Amino acid sequence: MATSRRAQMMLVSLMVVGVAMVGCAKRPATTTAAAAPAPSGVTETTASRAPEPTPAPSTAAPSGAGTAQPSAPAGGAATAPATRPDVKTFTSVKDLNDIHFDFDKYDIRAGDAKILDANAQWLKSNPNHLLLIEGHTDERGTNEYNLALGERRAKSAMNYLVAQGVQASRITIISYGEERPLCTEQTEACWARNRRDHFLVKPR
Amino acid sequence: MRRILLCIALVFAVGLLAPWPPPQAPRAQGTDVYLNVTGGGTRKLNIAVPDFTVVAGNDTAGLGKQLATIAGSDLTFTNLFSVVAATGTIPANNPTALRQSWADFAAAGAHAGVHGLLALRGDRVETEMRLYDLTTSDQRLIATRKFELPAAQARRLAHKVADEIVLQFTGEAGVADTKLAYVVGPLGSKEIQMADYDGNGALSVTRNGSINLSPVWSPDARSLAFTSFMKGYPDLYRAFPFERRPEQTLAAFIGINSSPSWSPDGRTVAMTLSKDGNPEIYVLTIANGTMRRLTRHAGIDTEPTWSPTGQQIAFISDRNGSPGLYVMDTEGSNIRQLTSGGFHTQPRWSPKGDTIVYTSRQGTHDLWAINPDGSNPRRLTTGPGDNQGATWAPNGRHLAFQSNRNGRWQIYTMLADGSEQNPVTRGGGEATSPSWSPRLP
Repeated sequence: MATSRRAQMMLVSLMVVGVAMVGCAKRPATTTAAAAPAPSGVTETTASRAPEPTPAPSTAAPSGAGTAQPSAPAGGAATAPATRPDVKTFTSVKDLNDIHFDFDKYDIRAGDAKILDANAQWLKSNPNHLLLIEGHTDERGTNEYNLALGERRAKSAMNYLVAQGVQASRITIISYGEERPLCTEQTEACWARNRRDHFLVKPR
Repeated sequence: MRRILLCIALVFAVGLLAPWPPPQAPRAQGTDVYLNVTGGGTRKLNIAVPDFTVVAGNDTAGLGKQLATIAGSDLTFTNLFSVVAATGTIPANNPTALRQSWADFAAAGAHAGVHGLLALRGDRVETEMRLYDLTTSDQRLIATRKFELPAAQARRLAHKVADEIVLQFTGEAGVADTKLAYVVGPLGSKEIQMADYDGNGALSVTRNGSINLSPVWSPDARSLAFTSFMKGYPDLYRAFPFERRPEQTLAAFIGINSSPSWSPDGRTVAMTLSKDGNPEIYVLTIANGTMRRLTRHAGIDTEPTWSPTGQQIAFISDRNGSPGLYVMDTEGSNIRQLTSGGFHTQPRWSPKGDTIVYTSRQGTHDLWAINPDGSNPRRLTTGPGDNQGATWAPNGRHLAFQSNRNGRWQIYTMLADGSEQNPVTRGGGEATSPSWSPRLP
């Protein structure tokens, strides 16, 4: 290599105990100061949010070579519909009531079983409706864990309804985790309202 | 007692380096070093960073001063350096003035000085940094290095200079030339942004009007995996924020598709899918789309994080009643429980491999660290507010995290021992879920 680096070592040993911070100079006032020019050549990239190529089946991945192409769901998902309906086409009805959960729990509470019984009855009386179960958590805990927790809550209700005789093929579940609370105060009453399954339907 | 003994040994490597343009010196290998940082608790190296000297072009924007300020801020951030107050600009091509200036800085306590030479050439900007040892009477040149970037990325020149200085003194480059990605926006409408590691120059990564969560940089710093409800359900995507290229779908199975974590080689992504009935951890091989299932348990298994060797994955499971931290081999075997009791989430394996940081809930949330064998759990933050969602800087010395200590969620950074907590974002909205990029290419 062109450079000759003669390593002449000089040991300036600064042996230190704890907090002795010598000459702690003032912090240059840059960190978020406005003077900085817009960085990086990436500015244009936000314009690149072109519509994606439409994926064929809802479970498969789009895009070209080298992209991941998850195969169709397998195994235990057989009890659920094979495709995912548009969640926006579902609406709430007054006859289907929410159920609620204890903190970090997804088992159905005894009192809520009665609500689910009534919901099951309505669904059996209205066999032409498809059901969407939304699982929600409160804001405590953390994002990704709450997404999983909401999923388990929706799944608990689904299993209960199926056991009551509602066809599994009519039911779709979705978890919103902590992302769609009903109320945002930081009180136990508010958190308790948010820890819920919500039920929506649409005609087949 | 978490105070760690520290020994900094400073060894100036002296090279006979040609001036502008210097050949690229081989990076620190073997003996040419350093400042050997073995722990926290420090005595700092005093460094002078006078305004960069303009050697070509017309610096109407005052870039020479800005770059010096930014580089100084980057060096201060490392907690290894103290920046000695500057005394004006060093004139170009005036060795006598330069020597006098360094003598003045040395008298003010500086151990080292960096002189930046700035050339403005239309839409390109180049900088040569010259690093001097001011503890010797002959003010020896320790290193020089030249960087060139598009003018729009001029700020990165200062970051690169700072990173090079850290490399010269410690044997490992700094982390100033990196990005933070994070989530912004109110409930129900969350988008992903990225900014320089110091919060400057925020740019949108997503703009789909949906809920976007959990951005995670790929090991090549070119893409971000993230969860999005953009098609109604929580699916996993990959965005390419530096390219004109649409998002790629990584996983869109029935159920949740979430919690992405890149393997260190960038070839696979561990994730959480519930397609087989409940949240389990899978590994997707990007090139061929094959999906391998790692966990099989009726409880929740989520939040995988790879060890830097790629041999192990830490994750969260509620299999023993409440969420806790577990480690398994990459094949899904040999599961070990690291925490017992409590409520622990968000594990992130350190890039050095020796620590896993995580969030522990005890009323509020705080950050903790634990050794991968389950020993030495230790608290890193103690309020105020909630402190969670940590992400490691690529050198394993710093963490970014989210805190609501001032009422709104914002991104903060701290040293790995929990000290030096400072805000990065100061916007009016909420900023959460930071991911610290690897060093930019």
